Amino acid sequence: MSNSRYIWRKRLGWLVEKVAVLFILLFIAFPIYWLLITAFKPEEFVYSNAFIFPPTLANFRAIFAGDPLDFKPYLLNSLVISTATVLLAIPLATMAAYTLSRYAFKGSLPLLIWFLTTQFLPPVVVVIPFFILFRRLGLVDTQISLIIINLSLVVPYAVWMLKGFVDALPTEIEEAAVVDGCNEFEVLRRITFPLMMPGVITTAVFAFIMSWNEFLYALVLTRDEATTMTVGLLSTQTHRGVQWEWMSAAGLLVMVPIFFLSLTIRNYFVEGMTMGAVK
Amino acid sequence: MRGSRLIRFLLLAPAVIVVLAVSAFPMINTFILSFREWRLDRSPTPQGFVGFENYARAFGDRFFWNSISVTATFTVISVTMSVVLGLAFALVLQKPSRLNTFAKTLLIFPFAVAPILKGFSWRFMLNPSWGVYDTLLDALIPPARDVVWLADPFWAQFWLAVSEVWGWAPIIALMFVGALGAIPTDIFEAAKVEGASNWQLFWKVTLPLLSPVIVIITLLKTIFSLKMFDQVVSMTGGGPGRATQTLNYYVYINGFRFLDMGYASALAYILIVALTIFAVFYVRALYRQGAV
Repeated sequence: MSNSRYIWRKRLGWLVEKVAVLFILLFIAFPIYWLLITAFKPEEFVYSNAFIFPPTLANFRAIFAGDPLDFKPYLLNSLVISTATVLLAIPLATMAAYTLSRYAFKGSLPLLIWFLTTQFLPPVVVVIPFFILFRRLGLVDTQISLIIINLSLVVPYAVWMLKGFVDALPTEIEEAAVVDGCNEFEVLRRITFPLMMPGVITTAVFAFIMSWNEFLYALVLTRDEATTMTVGLLSTQTHRGVQWEWMSAAGLLVMVPIFFLSLTIRNYFVEGMTMGAVK
Repeated sequence: MRGSRLIRFLLLAPAVIVVLAVSAFPMINTFILSFREWRLDRSPTPQGFVGFENYARAFGDRFFWNSISVTATFTVISVTMSVVLGLAFALVLQKPSRLNTFAKTLLIFPFAVAPILKGFSWRFMLNPSWGVYDTLLDALIPPARDVVWLADPFWAQFWLAVSEVWGWAPIIALMFVGALGAIPTDIFEAAKVEGASNWQLFWKVTLPLLSPVIVIITLLKTIFSLKMFDQVVSMTGGGPGRATQTLNYYVYINGFRFLDMGYASALAYILIVALTIFAVFYVRALYRQGAV
């Protein structure tokens, strides 16, 4: 009697657990799935919740057609701005992270904490004086202005992430190289930097994602010339309201590259996000 | 190995200069601006100093108070839901199985979606005539048929928070999965030997051991919730009325729609004060945890 009750409880527990996992999967994946299929729906199927439809690429053609929408320059701007931000940020951050890890000095911890706290600055505070400055310099609506301001987003994270990677490298190899007669620069070039490469790439990917998804700075600092993908999404809103099939197609172009990049660094996502507070 | 002072300085300087330029410069500049009158549509250069007038104006501005209450509501709802759901997800998914491994891989995706797109996607699904979630909810809860989700002040706030939770609960779950894995299993075994039920195990063992991590995650999420901006633009536009106009958004429209730089700067500084308080707690929690 009590034995069969035990078995039933166990089965019930198993069922509840599977249902819970299923719920989590649906909660996470459904909005993504819905955007994905809407992007391939012919217009007449978009506004009827259809799950079955003849897939089409018409929406992707429409957002690159030039009239009324043209996402080509937005895509190009996003690529240029994110890539340039990463290329500028990573060398700076690598040098700083290496120094802070290997030559810790009295001020290095306060310096790191200061880097961390800059991330708590709301972007809307950062953007006001930069908007005024760029306006005076005639840099509003240029890629350069966005590259500069995106560094504020990326550099502190990059320093923290990279410092974590350098901390994890054993110093013995470097010390052995010094004993063998390498000078400091040779040690850096031949030993430390090659060992740091996986960390550098991970950090670069993370920085690219942050820069690519950025919205507020691009909203304030661009008009038409330097508009990025995230701000470009707003252009799918016509006088008839948002054209959801276009929004989904453009949204997919924002989302899918980032999904692939995230997968390559998935083990470092949490550490990067929390700057190492939660590992 | 000891690098010379000069090398150390040269290696650190570029990053420090960049971070100074993009944090200290705006902080000082905005602070000074907050004491000036500057309508960008009337004058290309700052007008006179007005003392605390911009701050005084904020305290007499009912739309400012509205934005404070919206921000507080949004923060409380989104933080609570993200942390509770995140922990629940982690507890469900921590058992090793193929399905759970697959689910854990999916956890990073919502967070990787650009926040502006999150807002669009939820607005799409909640559309009263053909939104897929709206249709589903109408079928499950008949009284919901009359509700136009994003046109109702209460529900607009709720769904705005849900769009944020959709992005954050999964990544927080991933953080908790890591933290749960770090708890030595013999503690659970010992408790089980003593006859503890799963329920007791959770409240008496797991939760207390997780509490430092919970504190850190809660503070971190609070800071990010206070900073949330993108979904307001794509999901509600601050509406209906001003029901989802967060302080961030209110700063934005004052600065970049009404071009009132002085007032926007003062409002921005009030936001900084709030964030500083949480940032101090966060850094202290990190020290206590031994994370720095």
